[in-house]
Amino acid sequence: MREQLVDCNPRRTLRVTAILITLAASCAFSHRSLAQEAKPDPAGIVTGDKNSVVDASGNPFVVAAPTDPNAPDYATAKKAYDEYQAATAKEPLATKLADSVGHLRIATNFGWTLNTGYLVLFMQAGFALLTCGLTRKKNAAHLMMLNFAAFVFALLAYYAIGYAFQFGAVAINAAPGNLGGIPTLNHFLLGNGSWGFLGGKGFFLSGPAYDAGSNALTLFEFVFMETAGYIIVGAVCERITFWGFVLAELFIGGILYPVFGCWVWGGGWMSQLGTTWNLGHGYVDFAGSTVVHAVGGFCAMALAVVLGPRLGKYDKNGKPRAFPAHNLVYVVTGTFILLFGWMGFNPGSTLGATDLRISVIAMNTNLAAVAGSAAAMILWYFIFGKPDVTMACNGMLAGLVAITAPCAFVSPTSAVIIGVLAGVLVCLGVLFFERVAKIDDPCGAISVHGLCGWLGAVSVGIFADGAYGSGWNGVGATSYLGHAGQGVTGLLHGDVRQFWMQLAGATLCAVWAFGATFVVFAIVNKFKSIRVSEEVEQEGLDVPEFGMSAYPEDALVTVD
Amino acid sequence: MKRISAIIRSNRLDEVKQCLIAVGVQGLTVTEVRGFGRQRGHTEMYRGSEYSVDFVPKILVTILASDDRVEAILEAIILGARTGKMGDGKIYVTPLEEVVRIRNGERGEAAI
Repeated sequence: MREQLVDCNPRRTLRVTAILITLAASCAFSHRSLAQEAKPDPAGIVTGDKNSVVDASGNPFVVAAPTDPNAPDYATAKKAYDEYQAATAKEPLATKLADSVGHLRIATNFGWTLNTGYLVLFMQAGFALLTCGLTRKKNAAHLMMLNFAAFVFALLAYYAIGYAFQFGAVAINAAPGNLGGIPTLNHFLLGNGSWGFLGGKGFFLSGPAYDAGSNALTLFEFVFMETAGYIIVGAVCERITFWGFVLAELFIGGILYPVFGCWVWGGGWMSQLGTTWNLGHGYVDFAGSTVVHAVGGFCAMALAVVLGPRLGKYDKNGKPRAFPAHNLVYVVTGTFILLFGWMGFNPGSTLGATDLRISVIAMNTNLAAVAGSAAAMILWYFIFGKPDVTMACNGMLAGLVAITAPCAFVSPTSAVIIGVLAGVLVCLGVLFFERVAKIDDPCGAISVHGLCGWLGAVSVGIFADGAYGSGWNGVGATSYLGHAGQGVTGLLHGDVRQFWMQLAGATLCAVWAFGATFVVFAIVNKFKSIRVSEEVEQEGLDVPEFGMSAYPEDALVTVD
Repeated sequence: MKRISAIIRSNRLDEVKQCLIAVGVQGLTVTEVRGFGRQRGHTEMYRGSEYSVDFVPKILVTILASDDRVEAILEAIILGARTGKMGDGKIYVTPLEEVVRIRNGERGEAAI
């Protein structure tokens, strides 16, 4: 049954409903066929034993028996194994203690991962404030409802199919060791081995995904997916219908985000290009400049193109008109909440507090944020004579988006440079989309998340200094570029192939997110417009779409 | 009886109130209004696009007065509201037919 599924599904990926039905069936069947495989651990009582104990460089406490007698290091491996066996026989209490230490190590990492996930969750509030403040008062309830519904519907789609598509085969190439490895998620629906295109286990978080380690990963990853989900609000607001938006969220949470996420984080083909095609460490995106932000940003761009600009945005001669932000207090407050949440987004992406690189990651993240904001303020001052509050905030977010992919791999000074580049790029991007491309993007989502997300992933290929990420994506575990312990390395430190990988991968992300969204929603829009009527847009969407304005005391109410 | 209406800069309201109290005005009504004069508003920049503020926020002060008090009140308003720059506002005086105090039904100058 499962074999047939693998064979007949690839060419029908667009027929979502048909797939959904077969997938539900496959969940039921997969239970029985997994008898000899590792069992899921929903109670979390067997996850983490002596096998999870490693030292600071990642060397395991347990020495595995060498399997290949012809391997060149067989003799040393065999000797280490024999010594380990002798030691465990002599000190049984030590191995028992190691079981506790291993459980505690996983527990520490669970705590870190879940708590940083909660921080990322709070970014939702920041983004709601930011986008609401940046738009007009008459659409404030609409903005709040979009941000709210984004969370609700995207999570349901991610729970049903998204997580399985993204991480259904994570144990094959990208087992998250800090969370116990999750060995039960090990099946590609499309592709296999180093060429996986779509995960295929854990639909509806059932069966192998009903597991403590898997759920820690699910929580952390769904809040990331939500980030891509709400990014689009900034570009589609003030004119999209509610049902059109809900459809977009289901699409992002169920398909658009998980597919690219599988390729990069789920052990899919892009992450394995280091081993298959010798392209550096494969495609590297630490916390999601592209996987999260560029996917959201370019999806937003496609939707903004399908929707067209807001009424009155361009005059007869095509000159853009400004619709000033209605509440700068929300904008700045929201930006700071996002910065705070980013302290979970980036450091949390180690999936473990036992990875002490977290302090460098946190500092890099803050430095890029302030560098981006400073660059935007200064550039705007020189172009227009005054720094713009909203562009200062966009500059900070641009720096954050751009440092998200390289935060673990670069030095603090590189982080500042990346932040400055992002701050400049976001200003030029906003002006370009507003004046040249004439794509109406009320909150700058395309420039902040799309362009700077792309820049972030490319920055890994330029600035990565090799200090971190030894063995990343299975490349160079013992030595890389002739140095033991050399991690992910960029152009400036001698790995040109990593740069090409990053450039191609980030560009592919933009093409995928824009292309897939544009095709789907151009077709949807043909059948039923996803844009509100002119009267509704002029009146403001609050009352026509949701029956209530955000600030109802503006209306005079009389009671009979 | 006269109704004196003064359109002034929002930030001069406090001075105007002080000056009016100094000449013995008992009460006044303030309304937030918007409009333009010969200056025709002004333009601002937002995220790289210009927008024009055609209707500038102003304060409309309304005072009721007996005929003999009008001159003193006009001078008080000018004293408080003038900066000498474009946009100081305008005062206009209109005749008033009747005034009624709602509490006790007093009419005419007694109700001012």
